[in-house]
Amino acid sequence: MLAPTEIAPGPPATLPGPPRVSHEDLIRRNLARLGWGFTAPALIVIAAFTIFPILFSIIVSFEKVNVSGSGFSFSGLTASNYSIVIKAALWHHALWFTTLYTVVTVLSEIVLGTLFALVLERLTAGRGPMMALLLIPWSLITVVSAELWGYIYNSSYGLLEGLFPNVLGHPFSATIALMVADIWKTTPFVTIIVLAGLVMIPTELFEASEVDGAGGWKTFWRVTLPLLRPTLGIAVLFRVLQAFGLFDLPYVLTTGGPGTSTESLAMLAYNTMFTDLDFGPGTAVATSTALIVLVMSLVFLRVFKAQVGKETPNA
Amino acid sequence: MRNRTRHGWRRWVNWVNFFSLLIALFVLLPMYWLVTSSFKTTASVGSSPPQYFPIPVTTSNYQVAFGDYTFGRYILNSVIVACCATTLVLVLGILAGYALGRLPVRGKYPMMVTLLMISVFPQIAVIAPLYLIMRDLGWLNSYEALIFPYTAFNLPFAIWILRNYFLGISMSMEESARVDGAGPVRTLVSVIVPQVKPGIFTAGVFTFTACWTEFLMALSFNIENNFRTVPVGIATFGSQFTVPYGTIFAASVVAVVPIAILVLVFRKSVVSGLTAGAVKG
Repeated sequence: MLAPTEIAPGPPATLPGPPRVSHEDLIRRNLARLGWGFTAPALIVIAAFTIFPILFSIIVSFEKVNVSGSGFSFSGLTASNYSIVIKAALWHHALWFTTLYTVVTVLSEIVLGTLFALVLERLTAGRGPMMALLLIPWSLITVVSAELWGYIYNSSYGLLEGLFPNVLGHPFSATIALMVADIWKTTPFVTIIVLAGLVMIPTELFEASEVDGAGGWKTFWRVTLPLLRPTLGIAVLFRVLQAFGLFDLPYVLTTGGPGTSTESLAMLAYNTMFTDLDFGPGTAVATSTALIVLVMSLVFLRVFKAQVGKETPNA
Repeated sequence: MRNRTRHGWRRWVNWVNFFSLLIALFVLLPMYWLVTSSFKTTASVGSSPPQYFPIPVTTSNYQVAFGDYTFGRYILNSVIVACCATTLVLVLGILAGYALGRLPVRGKYPMMVTLLMISVFPQIAVIAPLYLIMRDLGWLNSYEALIFPYTAFNLPFAIWILRNYFLGISMSMEESARVDGAGPVRTLVSVIVPQVKPGIFTAGVFTFTACWTEFLMALSFNIENNFRTVPVGIATFGSQFTVPYGTIFAASVVAVVPIAILVLVFRKSVVSGLTAGAVKG
């Protein structure tokens, strides 16, 4: 498909009119074919390992799956997987926990990250090392951060054991503990994004605001925040979608406990599939989680587009 | 930048520097605890009240991680998987990014939006079907069980980043190469690719980091000891009743330091990748 080079040197300009158009058409068609040839391998890999499994998963979620010694077998279409899931108290709790976790961590990270960015933007010396420092938690393996916080929270020899004994032993404090670990790891990421947004705001706007006699607080609400809105929107979008798929941190730090109080939707799906070997209900949980994420991202995109459209009518 | 010039002691002692210091401590203190604990003896790791400095310093945790546990093997597995996936992502991503950025491909925009959707899709949704498929293919506990899914999940972001860079370079060199009779592949390799090097670094570092830190798929598909990657290895150290924190942190330091260095060396690429969405809108 790629081999013959039809995009040979163009014909001399002396050619008569009509065939020239068809020649350009030919080049265009060949380029389009080349484009498909270049795009196809990537699309095939992506489709084979993401889109196809998702479609397969939707089918599995409507099937009765039997696990036996010899393997998996499917028997008959059923909606029972979903009705099992929707009635299950475990699912209700996981949905509530994941939502609460997402809302609290994302809000805290946005507020703290904006605060950090506002401070660091005024830093005159040592900005480079500071940016480097902020990148370290981003590159950290989540499992490592989970183990580290597990050690800090440890009930017999942890760093915080004197202040807050047995943090991971109670549902409420275990939830807070997970959130703190997440906020520590992800706030630097939000800071970097907001900092990039801040730098984009023209300095004259701040100067004008100062000339108009607006104080720092007023400038923040009237100038900085409105102009940061698109940046913050993107940061919220990334974070919400990521937080909703929460798995690594509770899997290692609390193993969903005490009891199942810190079990996220992804963990519930994983445990149903690989611990209980209930692939039907397990895929139903996973598929419904994906559906929620999909709907959320569509809503976000819509709201975001509408907002940006309102602020910059010519864009 | 908007800082007024300060003189004398006010230049160093002011609230900006004070709060910046607090931010640095916020990031650094847990990291300090991770690194120092990896050099503590077993007794001092478990001492209450905690020991703030690792005295005496010992490297026995490192010896245990690489001797009693096969952490070296996990590192090798992670290196193989991450390198293969990153290479595949870059090769396929450059081809697709070039085509979507500069060639008249039909259906470009729906394709780009679909890619964006896939890149934020929760991985838990593909775990069950991929597990069943790989089980039938006999791929469970193998390198390809991770290389291909990692390639597929990281390609969309790489294509987006690379496409942006391809859009930004001038058309003229490409055309002159064409006039000189160079084929499309040769034009791409020798003329176009060198101009998007920063984009390739960004896509490469992001993919490598994502592969190095990925946990859910590695845990689901490659649980056998010989095929565990670093995160799975660290999560499964020890037994049900004891958590060997010294060993875990020694392994963690070994796993985290190379990636931290990589990220710091390519700092500019990483920041441009992180902020690509935020700034462009």
